[in-house]
Amino acid sequence: MSLPRGFLVPVGVFRSVASTHARAFPLSRRLQSSHSHARPHSTPNYLESADGLISDLSVRKHRHAPTPHKFDAQGNEVDAYKGGPSAIDKAVHLFFFTEIIRGMWIVLEQFFRPPYTIMYPFEKGPLSPRFRGEHALRRYPSGEERCIACKLCEAICPAQAITIESETRIDGSRKTTKYDIDMTKCIYCGFCQEACPVDAIVETQNQEFSTETREELLYNKEKLLANGDRAEAEIAANLYSDHVYR
Amino acid sequence: MVSVHRYIRSIYRVGFRAWWRQLNYIGDAKSGRLVGADQFGNRYYENYNAEEEVPGRQRWVDLAQHHYHASQVPPEWHSWISHIRKDPPNEDAVMVASRRPWQQPWTENLTGTQGAYKPYNTVAPKIDAWEPKSAPRA
Repeated sequence: MSLPRGFLVPVGVFRSVASTHARAFPLSRRLQSSHSHARPHSTPNYLESADGLISDLSVRKHRHAPTPHKFDAQGNEVDAYKGGPSAIDKAVHLFFFTEIIRGMWIVLEQFFRPPYTIMYPFEKGPLSPRFRGEHALRRYPSGEERCIACKLCEAICPAQAITIESETRIDGSRKTTKYDIDMTKCIYCGFCQEACPVDAIVETQNQEFSTETREELLYNKEKLLANGDRAEAEIAANLYSDHVYR
Repeated sequence: MVSVHRYIRSIYRVGFRAWWRQLNYIGDAKSGRLVGADQFGNRYYENYNAEEEVPGRQRWVDLAQHHYHASQVPPEWHSWISHIRKDPPNEDAVMVASRRPWQQPWTENLTGTQGAYKPYNTVAPKIDAWEPKSAPRA
């Protein structure tokens, strides 16, 4: 019982000595010393340049400027480092690699936990109903195509990926004859579906449309209409789930 | 060692043959409720027991084809497996009401095959090539 206490006393003595003499050897002297405060008490500084900058030589000259001491309301000196780890505590952690061992312990814990890996083609991560994937042109419930060739999507497209040409049909309605989207240009910003007044051009939730050749990504009107014809139920359900926010 | 318990429990539930199939495709022993199957024969499962499946792995599909691809899931089931919709498409009232009689059957991504999409022009060409026609000399 007495041996550990006798072993521990010098540490406390060193700590108390270090804390009482902390003001005598201020380590933060060079950071806290201010030349503007020290200047009126000293001789004029001829090394100072005209633009207010101070050379290193003047810093040497003011090295022994008094360090500002901080006091509380009762007049007691406040030591900001009181109660912190001592130098021996820090040395123990440094020489025994405690931080490295703690980090390796966390790695060992993760090894015995179930993995969070999603096995992709069989399991898929959550998607939003507002997800912007492959484009599609929609039809009305009657089967009539929605696009009226107003070309708002072509105008707003920041990548200029959409090309539209239109004609008047025999029944007098204006429909597109050409609706091309260059999917290699498209940045999937969703401006086209926001600009569309009749919800004709939409971005579906399909993201698995990668191709082997570049030309397969140059979609024309038939391809876009086919996309819409195949995914209409999902598109309509997503638009319905979002209709209160639009 | 919860995952070892879960693995052995899943093998006990699904049986040896199904476990062997899962090992060849999904790569993990999973057990859950059979939610339904689509028109291609893909079977869809879910297990919301928090002690057995971590979030993101609670819904999965057993793809029918050996050469499986993510686009073999039709869009109605895609919105279920992507957690966009809570209920499977045959029980979801909104999804049932959104079906149209003119809807086309789903095809998977056919790139690299004979059925791959080839772009073509949907309008007549605006520039006609010069056809050399010479009037006969009198």
